[in-house]
Amino acid sequence: MMVDSSMTETAKVSPRAGPSYAGWIGKLVASPLYAATIGLIANSHKTRLVLLLAIPLVWIVTLHIGPIYQMARISIMDNYPPAPGGPVYTLDNYRLFFQEPLYFMPFLRSIIFAVCVTATTLIVVYPVAYYVAKVVKPENRTRALLLLLTPFWAGELIRTFSVIMFLANRGAVNVFLREIGLIDRPIILLYNYFSLSFGVIYLISLFMLLPLYSAIEKIPSSLVDAAADLGAGPWQRFRRVILPLSKDGIISGCSLVYLTSIGVFAAPLLLGGPNSTIFPEIIASLFHGSSDKWPEGAAFSILMLAVSLSTVGLFMRVVGGRTVKLM
Amino acid sequence: MRSYFSDFPKTALQASYWLFVIYLLLPLALMMAISFKDANFVAFPIDKWTLKWYAQVLQDKQFLEACLYSIFIAVMTTLFATIIGVWIALLISAEGIMARSVIFALACLPAVVPGLINAISLRIFIRVLDIPTGTGAIILGHTVHAVPFVVIMVLTRLRSMPNNLVDAARDLGADSFVAFMRVTLPYLVPALAGGMVFCVLTSIDDFVRTFFLGGYQTTLPMLIFAKVQGGMSPEINAMATLVLIVTAAIGLYAEHFTRRSRM
Repeated sequence: MMVDSSMTETAKVSPRAGPSYAGWIGKLVASPLYAATIGLIANSHKTRLVLLLAIPLVWIVTLHIGPIYQMARISIMDNYPPAPGGPVYTLDNYRLFFQEPLYFMPFLRSIIFAVCVTATTLIVVYPVAYYVAKVVKPENRTRALLLLLTPFWAGELIRTFSVIMFLANRGAVNVFLREIGLIDRPIILLYNYFSLSFGVIYLISLFMLLPLYSAIEKIPSSLVDAAADLGAGPWQRFRRVILPLSKDGIISGCSLVYLTSIGVFAAPLLLGGPNSTIFPEIIASLFHGSSDKWPEGAAFSILMLAVSLSTVGLFMRVVGGRTVKLM
Repeated sequence: MRSYFSDFPKTALQASYWLFVIYLLLPLALMMAISFKDANFVAFPIDKWTLKWYAQVLQDKQFLEACLYSIFIAVMTTLFATIIGVWIALLISAEGIMARSVIFALACLPAVVPGLINAISLRIFIRVLDIPTGTGAIILGHTVHAVPFVVIMVLTRLRSMPNNLVDAARDLGADSFVAFMRVTLPYLVPALAGGMVFCVLTSIDDFVRTFFLGGYQTTLPMLIFAKVQGGMSPEINAMATLVLIVTAAIGLYAEHFTRRSRM
């Protein structure tokens, strides 16, 4: 920092002695306006620090923390907008959640659903990630990965829509099964838990694939070779070497998939049925339509946020021990 | 030394890979196929082929307006999210900043909060502040969601940047603004390109935030949602196919670009 301040001094004493640059930036730096504004800021250590701090901190505090704070505040109000006498603070909205099975059951179902989706995705995607990271030759790896990535550039709704067409009564699967004579009338695949999980896994398996892939790719082959030389069979090599070393990928993949699948919104609206109502639909209904029940909705959102984040925290602690970093 | 990785049940792994590829690609491929079907309802098999749905979509004023609106929102989102994201990343990587990990965790918060909760909290937030729903609110919501990803990408790039580059520029007389514009920013270009494409694609794709923050004007996902709920027609397939081709092309190009500049 000593160098810094001495540089500042010389720049202040003789502004004309400063270097000149080509292009628009040269014109900008040469203009007197620059010396009065940006130049002044750029040359003062203190203002620079304030400028570096101010906007990010204001942004993070107002827009990253602010909305959640407001949500928590409204969740303990009896009415929103508050009655003329000022808001009355109460915990009734939280009590309602535990008393009313109409809210409580979908919540439980949502959590169980997200856990099942996460586990299924892990089991389905792990061999795929392993195949691309270790079996495919390095020169073909990019191509193998791109084949998996391309579908994810289609939007969430487009993919949900394609799943509907795939599973519908006159959709691809049913027509195919009828053509080969396995069934006479269509099997109902749509608007139940099957279609919902099929669609959600279809939407979010990428979040599992990428962390797993980068974790497995980092495992040095020599470790596996060493295990084999010492007499470990394929299963033991997987169980004792590869699985523990890909732990970081498993943790971040599972956390991402869990947090995303618990908050999916469009997919349950389009793929779920009356018997598979999950919590996001309930929460959304409290904010939309004629029933204006914002405090209840806010309370339920806070509960859902707390439960989902603490589940992930617990999972990281249990599986990862102390060394886990989110990144 | 021979690699024992190949001793694994290789065929099983290969089969799982190809089954997964089929799982990912088949529904989309069939959806595209139906967009060429000459009938008013969506069902298999396809016996007559036509291009009329594409002609209809390209004349659909609602669709074109939704496209323009979505692109406008995506561009604004990208602009704001990139500026704020780079700024936050610079703060986190600055020397002698206290509570670095706390700032980083808070900067990543909107990416960790489930999408629906994020949307609802923003909806409550703008109502408390009396900001009307509509274009501004949508851009705000999309920007909040995109910022953490820009921060992460830029930080990763900044970590690989040698410290002495900026020091050298400063020693040669550049003030910190010039040093930033001529040294740091060019070094960040690959991360910025990746981050920007990510912003554009997530903004164009976003449904839940737009659902809660939007006004009367429909974005592309809202339009597709309304059409899907309103009943199936091959017109939706044609619409979805067009959007898919454009977004996949952007994604592929970005992938290609970042891969090349990394070498």
